[in-house]
Amino acid sequence: MSAVIQVLKRAALALVVFTVMACLTFLGVEALPGDACTSLLGRAATPNKLEQCRQENGLDEPVLTRMGTWAVDLVHGDLGYSVKRGAPVSEIIAPRLRNSLVLAAASALMAFPAAVVLGMYSARRRGTRRARAIDTTGLVLMTLPEFVTASALWLVFSIWLPILPGVAVLSSDATLAETMPTIWLPSLTLAVLVFAHVMRSMRASVVTTSARPFVDAARHRGVPERQVMRRHVMPAALPPAVNVMAVTGAWLLTGTFVVEVVFNFPGLGRLAVDAISDRDTALILALTLFGLAVFIFSSFVSDTITRLLDPRVRAGLGT
Amino acid sequence: MQQLRSIKRMSVAAALTFGVLAAACGGQSASSTSGVLRVATSVGESTMDPYDGNRFWPAINMVFDRLIGVDKDFTPIPELATKWESNADLTEWTLTLRDGVKFHDGSAFDSADAVYSVERMIDPEFDSPVRAVLGIIAKAEAPDPLTLKLTLSSAEADLPLLLADYRALMTPEGSKDSVGSSPVGTGPFKMEKLDPEGTSRFVANTDYFFGAPKLAAIEIPAIADNTAATQALVGGQVDLLLSIDAKSIPQFSDTSKFSVQQIPSGDWNAIDFKVDQKPFDDPRVRKALRIATDRQALTDLVLGKDGGVPTCDTPVWSADPFRWNGDCPQDIEGAKQLLAEAGYPDGIDIEVFTSDVEDNMVELVQAYQEQVKAAGIRVKLTMADASGYYDDVWMKEPAFVDSWGQRPAVQVLNEVYRSTATWNPTGQVDPELDAMLDEARSTADPGQRAIKYQAIQEHLFENSAIFIPYHKTLVRAMGANVKGIEPIVIDAVRWEKIEVG
Repeated sequence: MSAVIQVLKRAALALVVFTVMACLTFLGVEALPGDACTSLLGRAATPNKLEQCRQENGLDEPVLTRMGTWAVDLVHGDLGYSVKRGAPVSEIIAPRLRNSLVLAAASALMAFPAAVVLGMYSARRRGTRRARAIDTTGLVLMTLPEFVTASALWLVFSIWLPILPGVAVLSSDATLAETMPTIWLPSLTLAVLVFAHVMRSMRASVVTTSARPFVDAARHRGVPERQVMRRHVMPAALPPAVNVMAVTGAWLLTGTFVVEVVFNFPGLGRLAVDAISDRDTALILALTLFGLAVFIFSSFVSDTITRLLDPRVRAGLGT
Repeated sequence: MQQLRSIKRMSVAAALTFGVLAAACGGQSASSTSGVLRVATSVGESTMDPYDGNRFWPAINMVFDRLIGVDKDFTPIPELATKWESNADLTEWTLTLRDGVKFHDGSAFDSADAVYSVERMIDPEFDSPVRAVLGIIAKAEAPDPLTLKLTLSSAEADLPLLLADYRALMTPEGSKDSVGSSPVGTGPFKMEKLDPEGTSRFVANTDYFFGAPKLAAIEIPAIADNTAATQALVGGQVDLLLSIDAKSIPQFSDTSKFSVQQIPSGDWNAIDFKVDQKPFDDPRVRKALRIATDRQALTDLVLGKDGGVPTCDTPVWSADPFRWNGDCPQDIEGAKQLLAEAGYPDGIDIEVFTSDVEDNMVELVQAYQEQVKAAGIRVKLTMADASGYYDDVWMKEPAFVDSWGQRPAVQVLNEVYRSTATWNPTGQVDPELDAMLDEARSTADPGQRAIKYQAIQEHLFENSAIFIPYHKTLVRAMGANVKGIEPIVIDAVRWEKIEVG
């Protein structure tokens, strides 16, 4: 029962957060100079044409009226219409959402397992040459800007070797099979970045946990080192790393602007950049909604995994 | 957005470094599917309606033809019209249309289509950007299927050049609702797929009246980011970039794989001063603001070495037969004196608005700011957001940066400087100039007309409120396998003559 109440509480909180964010996004777009029509018409925007465009797209209405209309449509499952692209927002987002999901999944699959294993290794073998090499590599990869990593990978994989296409040259309706070859370079770039972050947080978590009294106590009781790691260190060290992975996973879905632009990858990041410069309010709001949903979902997943990993929960002792 | 732009700028720097490295270490040769040319374009324009402000360029010029084209030396040449003549006072023009031309759907092109097309271009309600060029046409008639008669509201000796505008294309009668998404033209390529945010595809029209194209198809993938487009050419994913940053040229220095064309063009930037605002209402101040600069140094600073051709505030470019080649060295003392005469012995403070809405617009003000300091002109640079620039700043603030594409003398002078022009950015009303423009356009003899247009440009140098330091040199990059593209502006390139090896 308490779980249901918790879910309901979270849902209510999410609704409040989303409403506030929607208002802020609406007002934010409003505060920016220009609107969807000035962006669409550019310097060909004569007063007559602007007025006509604004009338056709309801931009002549007061901001509160537009917010109301948008909210009512949203309740009916309608995300609105993109002025610049002349199509419903859901139609524009759908194929890009698929691409972003595949991109994020590929990056996470490449980065997370390696990061966890190497993070643990580096913590356990602290001070050895190998561990130091892993640490330093992680630190260097973490501090490299995305576009430097991207350019270096492009140079190696599409020019020197060359085995991967450098940028995505695709149709808007490209199938997943057509999109796949173009996913490797952006996902590798993201994986490098994400790997470094997760690896270092995993390492830090294991190091901190290893120094805690209950681990020392286990060792003093004569528990073999392997069991100390498996039964005592890992259950306590994993949750913080899982949290980092959840947040990173959410970022992979919503924050990959630079990588998508550099590789011309048709995902949500590039769309968001375009939507903001186009003042495409409906599209910006839909992407905001999506971003929020991703973060709420990832925090839910992270909490659930943490609870499951927690020995006190598993033992039925409650938290 | 500002942050993203700076990230993008840094990414350009990184890509340049790696790109040069790639070229030095032997990039993959730019290969192409046999007979398919892949031209990268930035995302944006979304309609194939050539008269719409959001036309999909350069695809419209593959699908449609003009009545009159331009030759390499920018003289008018036949396209869908084979000959043209005017009455003595240059107010009525009669064009003979090419016989036997068919649209892509097999229907014949005739004067009814031409009348329909011209009427859409000049329709005040539709208000096409082409109207700014051809609004002088008062009436279009079709006395017979192969004759088009155009009646003008005033004399115009250079109507053929105006008809050679890249957007003055011929569309079939009654096509206004379909032309945007399903265009049917007479041009060398037929549209197979319109996908402005993905890859659009155009296939050869083998019945093209100038002869079948050498290419089987042209594909236009959308690549929004300049760096990504450059990477695509280096990696052999596209064959042609219509315009690259001059700073990217080293990436394409390997002539066995790439070829680069540097093409002087008529594109220009300017700083505009609104004449209804102090201190710009005084012609002495305006002239001081213009003569205090070293144009060659400024051009090199903003556009890079060989990046542009300096100009003395004339919008008429170097290859135009009506260009005035005045001399305008930096004159700090002259500027100071003019300012003193105008009541500013201690110099003036001005604010210039700019934005990175288009290339070079910020760098221009930065370079200007440094150069005019010596004349006591203190410039405050104010950045405006790119999205609202053309609505909130352009033609509204007292001083702002401007950017225009290439136009023939007759067009640019009337479109930008005539007192009544919609896009007269400084609001300058100059009846003397208007009279000179009327006189020039009603002069039939080209030699005499050139003298009159040159006099107009000299007049502008004395009075204008628009500081134009340079015309840009365009840089076009392509795979070494691409042949048949002359090093001339794209309006004069014949798409059907291009081939890939």
